[in-house]
Amino acid sequence: MRSLGAGLAMTVMAALAIGGFLVVPGLIVSAPIEPVMGVVQKIFYFHVPCAIMLFLSTFTCAGGSVAYLFRGSVRGDRVAAAAGELAVLFGACVLVSGPLWGRKAWGVYWQWDARLTSSLLLFLIMIAYMLARRYGGPGGKRLAAALALFAAVDVPLVYKSVDIWRTVHPQTTVVPSLDPRMRPAFWASFALIMLVWGLLLALRMRLEKARTALGELRLEMEDLLEARR
Amino acid sequence: MTTAVRKTRMAVAGAAAALFLAVLLSPALAAAQEFQKVEGRLADEIPAVPFVGYAYGFIWVAVLAYVVYVARGLNRVNSEVDELRRKLDGGGAAATREASRR
Repeated sequence: MRSLGAGLAMTVMAALAIGGFLVVPGLIVSAPIEPVMGVVQKIFYFHVPCAIMLFLSTFTCAGGSVAYLFRGSVRGDRVAAAAGELAVLFGACVLVSGPLWGRKAWGVYWQWDARLTSSLLLFLIMIAYMLARRYGGPGGKRLAAALALFAAVDVPLVYKSVDIWRTVHPQTTVVPSLDPRMRPAFWASFALIMLVWGLLLALRMRLEKARTALGELRLEMEDLLEARR
Repeated sequence: MTTAVRKTRMAVAGAAAALFLAVLLSPALAAAQEFQKVEGRLADEIPAVPFVGYAYGFIWVAVLAYVVYVARGLNRVNSEVDELRRKLDGGGAAATREASRR
């Protein structure tokens, strides 16, 4: 019954996401063109939600890691594994879309300024998290969980870096002070990306659960074969 | 008038002349160091639309690739789970025979 409900929820979310894919591009195209940067500013509508998903994934990964480290929660570990991969996915989206925007707006793809460098650092920590899980051996999951906590500490630094240091990147006031005519496109994009994030998290957690079940069945099979010998 | 006094007076006169020249030329020097107005909009030299296309394209290709990766993994693991369950439910005998054959 529970899996039926989860399946229904995923189907509804997928239907909403497909609807979003049909509606959001129209809203982005019809949003007014920003007078200073021009058409390239339209990258903003997906760049910023992807950055928020990077932060959300990192926090979710850290939350699951805390549950795994201090309570030995298997479900927490499963959530952390799924969210860790999503942090890398959305981090890659941010680090590709941002420099493309920068090339047009600043004339260069990359600047070693505080926001860009701290974002790259966060992305690298999340890659290290995945590598530690995969190749870290018996204690790899615990090591990875500790790395996730470091990554979570980096998130506020990434967010506030534009206010603390001098940087070429726009400040945190951009979204609150957004032109009211641009808001529907931005919030619709944000809702769509959030929906996609939720779907991917649920799908990835399902894979992790199936892997755990497969591991248990293999052990059961080995025990049975051992008993028959 | 001693030579030293004459030299001092010449130095002061030279410095005063240099100062006068500097004051006289300062607007020209300042103008030379100022930013020059650029005619036309340089930013428009690089077309924006391809950058927007690449950014959106990358995001959606990455998400789609991830969905395919997870879905394929899920199918593979589920089929392995089903096979193992069938073997376990069908009796360990078949599994034992298979193992002894290996």
